Amino acid sequence: MSVYIQSAAQISIQEPLTEKWFAEPHIPAGNFNLSIEPDYKSFIPPAESRRMGRLLKRAVTTSKEALRKGGCEMPDAIISGTGLGCIENTEKFLNAMLDNGEECMPPTAFMQSTHNTISSQVALTLKCHGYNSTYSQQGFSFDSALLDAFMQFELGKIGTALVEGHDEMTPDYYNMLGKIGYWRKETADTEKLRKSKGVGSISGSSSVSILLSDKLNDNTLCEIKNIVTLHSPNKSEIWNVVSRLLAKAGVAMSDIDAVVVGLSGDAENDSVYESVMSQCFTDKPVVWYKHLFGESFCASAFGMYVAATILNNRFIPKHLLYKSDKGINNVKNLIVYNHFHNKNHSITLLQSIK
Amino acid sequence: MEQLIEELKQEIINALNLEDMTLADIDENAPLFGEGLCLDSIDALELIVLMDKKYGIKLKTAAEGKEIFKSVKVMAEYIASHRTK
Repeated sequence: MSVYIQSAAQISIQEPLTEKWFAEPHIPAGNFNLSIEPDYKSFIPPAESRRMGRLLKRAVTTSKEALRKGGCEMPDAIISGTGLGCIENTEKFLNAMLDNGEECMPPTAFMQSTHNTISSQVALTLKCHGYNSTYSQQGFSFDSALLDAFMQFELGKIGTALVEGHDEMTPDYYNMLGKIGYWRKETADTEKLRKSKGVGSISGSSSVSILLSDKLNDNTLCEIKNIVTLHSPNKSEIWNVVSRLLAKAGVAMSDIDAVVVGLSGDAENDSVYESVMSQCFTDKPVVWYKHLFGESFCASAFGMYVAATILNNRFIPKHLLYKSDKGINNVKNLIVYNHFHNKNHSITLLQSIK
Repeated sequence: MEQLIEELKQEIINALNLEDMTLADIDENAPLFGEGLCLDSIDALELIVLMDKKYGIKLKTAAEGKEIFKSVKVMAEYIASHRTK
C-alpha cells in the first residue's frame, strides 16, 4: 500500500492558492495576521456562499483547487482537522444570545457553530457521499485527520482522500489567547522569532487542503511513507519510534535530508523541538514554516504542505532553513515532526518520487 | 410606506446575506418563497428573528408567517400596523 500527496492548496497570510511563497515569501509585518482572501465567486455560486462563513468559503475553495490540481473529480473521503471550527460564527451566535436575552437566535450562525460543519459543508458542495469526519483536537487536529486517512488507506477502504486543516483567528479570540501567552507582546519579525526566544509567537489563519491517493500520476508531489502519533512520550520512545519508522520504510537516518518542525519563537514550544532534534536528529538541517504562515491550531498542516512542496521541487530554499546561509538541493527524504504542548507528537516520513 | 419598504429590503439583504443584490433587484410585489427571491425554510427563520429583533413582532403560528411573508410589500404593511419598536 502506498499513499501519495497528489496536490495541495492553501489560503493563508501568504498569497492564496499559489506556491509563490516558495520563491518569494511575504514576511508577516505584525503579530495579528489575517489571511489574504481570494475571489471566492470563481469557486462558489453566490446562492451557496451566502450561507457560508469565511472559514467554510476557504475550505470549499481550497478543496476544489486541490481536486482540480490533482486531477480528481470526487474523493472517496473528506477528513479535516480544526482547532476552533467556524469561530467567527460561534462568536456571532454567542453574542446574539447575550444581546437578545437567549431569544431570537440566528439559525445560520448556529448551524455553522458546530465543528463538523467543515467536512460536511465540503461534502455537500462536492456532493461527496463518502467517508466524512472532522477532528477537533486543538493543535493536533490535522495530525489526527492525516492519521485517520492513512489508516483508511491501509484498510483498503479508500483510494483517494481530501485531508484538510482549517482555522481562523478573530480579534476577540486573539486577545483571549494573548492573555495566556500565545502571542508575542512586541512586534516580532522572522529574525526576532529565530534569535530571541520569548513568550508566544505570531498568529496566522490556516486553510490547507491536501489530496491523497493510492496511485501515482503526473501531478504527484511525494509519497507519505508512514505516520506515527505518540502521547506524552519520553525521548527514548521518540527515538525508538523514529528508528522503527525508518527501518520499515527501508530508509537510513543518513538518507534523511532535513526535518520539518513547528519552531515558532516561543521558548517553551521550541525547547521541545530542540531537545528532540539534539537527541534524534543531530546535525540534520531544520526546516521551519511558522515564521511565514504564523501559529494556529492547524499550523501543522502547513508543515505537511511545505514538506510536499520541497519534495516536489527537490529543493529547500534558504528562507525555510532555520540555520543556514544557502539552500539544499537534491532533497529526497524528509521527516515532518510536530508536537502540541509536548503531549501530542506526530512523526511523518515523506519521500520524493522523482 | 415607501421608506419602510426600502428599509426592509436592506434589512433582508443584511439578514440573509444576499451579497450580490441591491435594493433595486428586489421587487416588493414578488413572492419571497418559491419564486422571486427563492428563499427557503432557514431564511424563514431568519425573517422571524428579524421581525422580532428589529420591529418587536413575535409571530405565533407558521400559518401566520405564510401570510405575512408573501412579499416585501405585505411584510411592510404588516410591520407598519403591528410594530412595537
